[in-house]
Amino acid sequence: MSSPPSNGPNPSSSDAADPPDHLSSDTERDPQTSSRDAIDDRPDESASASIEEANDAGDADDSDGREPATLGALQEPQRLHPLTLLQRFLASLPALVLLLLPVLMNPSSENVFYLFMTAAFGLIALPSILLQYYRFSYRLTEKQIIIQSGVFNRQHRSIPIERVQNVQIEQNLLARIADIAKVKIETAGSSGTEGVLEYVSLKEAHRIRHAIRSFQRETVGETAPMVTPDIDTEDGAGEVAAEEISDEAEILFQMPLQRVLLSGMFRFSLIYIAVVFSVFQFFEPDTLLNYVLASRSQFQAIVDAVYASPFFAAVMTVMFAALFGWLTGIAINLNRYYGFHLWLEGDKLRKRHGLFTVTEGTIPLKKVQALILHTNPLMEAFGWFALEAQTIGLNVDEQGHRVIVPFAQLDQVRQIGKRVRDFDLQEPFERVSPLTIRRSFVRYLVGLSVIVVPAAYFWPPDWLAPMGVALPYWAYALTPLLLLWAYLQYTHHGYAVDDEALYVRRGVIGRYIWILPTEKHHVFYTRASVFQRRLGLKSFFVDTAGAASFAYPEVIDVPENTADKALDQLDDQFHTLYENRIRAATGSADTRLSADERPQLPDDAHSTWADE
Amino acid sequence: METDSPPPETTSSDNLRSLEPSMRTVWAIKRGVFVAFVSFAVFFYDLAHLFGTSALPFGTLTGIVVVLGTAYALFWPRLLYRSWGFSIRSEEIYIEHGVLNHVRTVVPLRRIQHLDVSQDLLEREFSLGRLVVHTAGSRSSDVVIPGLNLKEAERIRDRVKQFILEDPLMEDPV
Repeated sequence: MSSPPSNGPNPSSSDAADPPDHLSSDTERDPQTSSRDAIDDRPDESASASIEEANDAGDADDSDGREPATLGALQEPQRLHPLTLLQRFLASLPALVLLLLPVLMNPSSENVFYLFMTAAFGLIALPSILLQYYRFSYRLTEKQIIIQSGVFNRQHRSIPIERVQNVQIEQNLLARIADIAKVKIETAGSSGTEGVLEYVSLKEAHRIRHAIRSFQRETVGETAPMVTPDIDTEDGAGEVAAEEISDEAEILFQMPLQRVLLSGMFRFSLIYIAVVFSVFQFFEPDTLLNYVLASRSQFQAIVDAVYASPFFAAVMTVMFAALFGWLTGIAINLNRYYGFHLWLEGDKLRKRHGLFTVTEGTIPLKKVQALILHTNPLMEAFGWFALEAQTIGLNVDEQGHRVIVPFAQLDQVRQIGKRVRDFDLQEPFERVSPLTIRRSFVRYLVGLSVIVVPAAYFWPPDWLAPMGVALPYWAYALTPLLLLWAYLQYTHHGYAVDDEALYVRRGVIGRYIWILPTEKHHVFYTRASVFQRRLGLKSFFVDTAGAASFAYPEVIDVPENTADKALDQLDDQFHTLYENRIRAATGSADTRLSADERPQLPDDAHSTWADE
Repeated sequence: METDSPPPETTSSDNLRSLEPSMRTVWAIKRGVFVAFVSFAVFFYDLAHLFGTSALPFGTLTGIVVVLGTAYALFWPRLLYRSWGFSIRSEEIYIEHGVLNHVRTVVPLRRIQHLDVSQDLLEREFSLGRLVVHTAGSRSSDVVIPGLNLKEAERIRDRVKQFILEDPLMEDPV
């Protein structure tokens, strides 16, 4: 652990009142300066003064001459690209249009209010864009990225460079035209993005990323292979070309247009429904209704058809919805993965993709916590898989973010996955106990009853009751489906343990296979509820950093002995792995665990500290 | 004191240390306060329906809540206390707890990011401390051992801290 635990606090929690920590961490400064900084929420002078002081500190750091050539002007506080102003202004236009919408649709004296609001908006929003722009500055030192921002709430955020997990460069269509880019700096500290520079010039974006990476390489030391020497010697002011892919970078995976389209055909999205509704809410319901009523004659044929055959109408509706969902899926995929490229650049992965919004990111191999193979029944039927890398600091909810191979046949996924982290999928997986079917089934049935029984109890007798049975009870007709579902869950749940990793497979519709390498294990758990204990079952789970909270690789309902054995093996492997590493690093066994040292951490079997 | 021995069994429930007995009292008081609040609420509900046409005679509901609540406050802590066990081993912290759900946790010492000892008001009265172990794991980034003697909790914390600081592998914390 290279950094002491005290380095732990996440930088995101800084606000105006916090004394900026860059002073203490950059150099040893006298307490006077920091006390001066404590009142830094006053206007300009003190703020700029603190920036300058921090700057001095940064300069002091440089004196040891390890600074790479690319750093250059990045050490000065930098403003964002001026085009940011234009972009923010354009982004605020839809709100303006919305405010004016009633006036535009129905110009009358009653709508002066909206005009007034619009004027107020213009007077407040536009200057605030300017102010925000002028209050935002960022700079890099060897140890941290410092971002100062905020008009009323001043924020000083410093992100330790060694904690940076991923530097992502994003360009939407507008940004591409203007040749500017958004830089997202993600760390392990939180689940979201910690530092966002929106926008800087594309060249600057690459320079920032490059500087961060080279600092990281330096702190890691000589062990990291210097794969991109040509870039290192390159002068920052010169050609940090937009491409910046070094010759050594090996292309691991790319998707031609056909493949992107094909992959879209396996994705299904109903997002358009949300879009349609969100558009509708901007219209007056009455106006809409009047319009529909007025044009009823045009729809009369459809209405008649629906009355003639409701079943047919329902089928058609579903089919149209499905068709739309399918087309949306293709479109979304096309936008997201167009021109997908994945490179292996020495010790990091780099990917770039996107049609309208081009995203480019790097993930150091070391920071990959787990690999996830992801598929769905349709994709699996044709042998297609996606590969995701579980890292920390990335927003788990942001889809497609962690995907490193969006769509490929299993063999190819395996090959690429092995370059990231060696693994060996062991088919077939160990099954969990078949008792799990019963347990799930009972759980679903209880869940169903919790809804059905009260509903049936309060169901008025004169309401819908097909064949004399109150409608809620008809929900029990789903029982066979629940049983089927429980069975499918059982058949798709499995696990395997080998020398390298724990493999867990779960999911019926969204199917996942987690590959959890031993060295990334964090905490080992077993869990047994009352009901599980009665059946001699147990669930076990290995926690890794960055695991999602909703779908995580718990192995559910394994016979107690088997679970204990599997977890013991994983635990042993973990310790052996690290003992070997320590042996390799120091030439001897872990001295902290040697017989002499052991009283430091007594085994409870032999002594209790209470006895001392 | 043994030399490099086979790794400790993670599943044996022998040789586990239990919490300080006064933890039962702390739990009982906390639950008692909670039950008292609920009882009062139910009592006022009963009072409000004193002159209504209620199916139950006055005070029945309150009575039920008080009886069940008292049992919960008095006996549950004992069960909970009995279910708790932990052991600090040469390479890991092992914890088991849970009355209905038995949870067993193994935290390798190497994986600990930092440790806290914390006390709340009540725990301070009984000079108890809880050891909070932070790991980088995501689903449960902190593992808690409550009901330790404060001194003892601090001693464990310092020892584990020493273990972490002496780590010969200078590598990424995660």
